[in-house]
Amino acid sequence: MAHALEPRLAAYVAGRMPQASGVTVSNLERISGGASRETYRFVLSWTEAGQPTSRKLILRRDPPASLIDTERRVEFEAYRAFHGSSVPVPDMLWLEEASDALDHPFFIAGEIAGFQAGPAALFAGATEAVLARVAERKWTILGDIATADPAPLAAILPTPALDDCWRRELDHWAGLIARDADHPLPITEAAIRWLRANPPPAAQRLSIVHGDYRTGNFLFDAHGDIHGVLDWEMAHLGDPLEDLGWSLQPVWTFGRSGMAGGLCPPAQAVAIWERASGLVADPAALHWWTLFNCVKGQGIWVGSAAAFNSGGNRAPIMIYPAWWLINAQERAMAQLMGRL
Amino acid sequence: MTPPTSDVLRELAALLLRNAAPGVPDGERANALGLTATLLNIAAETWDAAAHNLVEENRAIRALLAETGNDPALHLSVLQAENNRLRSALIGLHARAEAEGDEPLQARIWAELIAGTERRSLSTAPI
Repeated sequence: MAHALEPRLAAYVAGRMPQASGVTVSNLERISGGASRETYRFVLSWTEAGQPTSRKLILRRDPPASLIDTERRVEFEAYRAFHGSSVPVPDMLWLEEASDALDHPFFIAGEIAGFQAGPAALFAGATEAVLARVAERKWTILGDIATADPAPLAAILPTPALDDCWRRELDHWAGLIARDADHPLPITEAAIRWLRANPPPAAQRLSIVHGDYRTGNFLFDAHGDIHGVLDWEMAHLGDPLEDLGWSLQPVWTFGRSGMAGGLCPPAQAVAIWERASGLVADPAALHWWTLFNCVKGQGIWVGSAAAFNSGGNRAPIMIYPAWWLINAQERAMAQLMGRL
Repeated sequence: MTPPTSDVLRELAALLLRNAAPGVPDGERANALGLTATLLNIAAETWDAAAHNLVEENRAIRALLAETGNDPALHLSVLQAENNRLRSALIGLHARAEAEGDEPLQARIWAELIAGTERRSLSTAPI
């Protein structure tokens, strides 16, 4: 049975491709995950200059309520900023910010087909040598993101002063926790107090920050090469150590204790990043950003619960992060504060 | 836990009914059922000890706050509401202990906070 979105999506694309005829959408299916956007893959077919053509594409549509509130234009432009660079990303095709066509805003991109993103597949099937290769590529690409020109996003995003990057992010996420948490979080509150009392030095440069750069948000192959960096919906401008700290967040070890991203020791990840970026990861500053990222994570998990509890989004994917990670995130903070 | 287990079970029951109907794309049905199974496993793991853990934690936090009294009922919603009140007060006590440099009190609070995370730990948790 054809998905109900297929004819509506085909009608939208046909309006964007006046040179094409016979535009159809087939094999549309929702991809698992995607708590901040609904993600579907589909096949677009059309005839152009007498030639039948088809292409695998991705639809990213806003859900009724998300675990994070983000602007799809920022995500769209972040992908475009890196297309064709050393940071592999899908090709962005159309951005639709109105809700007429598919009930919610969305964008359409090319699919990078034939690769996997799931951590379970990576850790179940890969050898240590492959994991080491993934680690090398993962933090090399993050170094490339850190040193990319922020100008393409500066036109649509706030540009914080170098000595204010930390405060802007901490205020934002602490504010979301204050708004969304329906249970008091004593360890998170202790971490926020410590972060405010012990600010990091000014950022060494203003960088594009991916915002969710972790194992699970890139496409890899069986040899350990990375073919696509995904999920840019939290992209912003800020301190490059923010992304590095998120990648070292203890909840992202996926059961491989002491391994950053489940891939390699943290010191090795930092060394790869420093070599690729030419930047310095001051240990005290990186500790601040890693603990901050625990607070940020908590903001996302309690936001997920809040979206479910408010009735805004009752999808089970909104429950899982809250149930699985709120307590783990508190333990991660206690660990980083030397209490666990 | 948040969202509350009772709300989640109701939602999962509705999800199962929707997926029992014909016409749901295979991939979406597989995703929904897989995630449902994961959530049911978490609910099963936390079910038996839920009330016990809240009673134990509420008692421990009352001691830190120098409060007397007991939980008025054993409904999870009542225990959780009292736990929220007590943990909110504990945040205030913790901040004051830090401001005053009261290291012994901070150590006692941290010991209880760590114990609390151990009560809530899941077998599948990353930490």
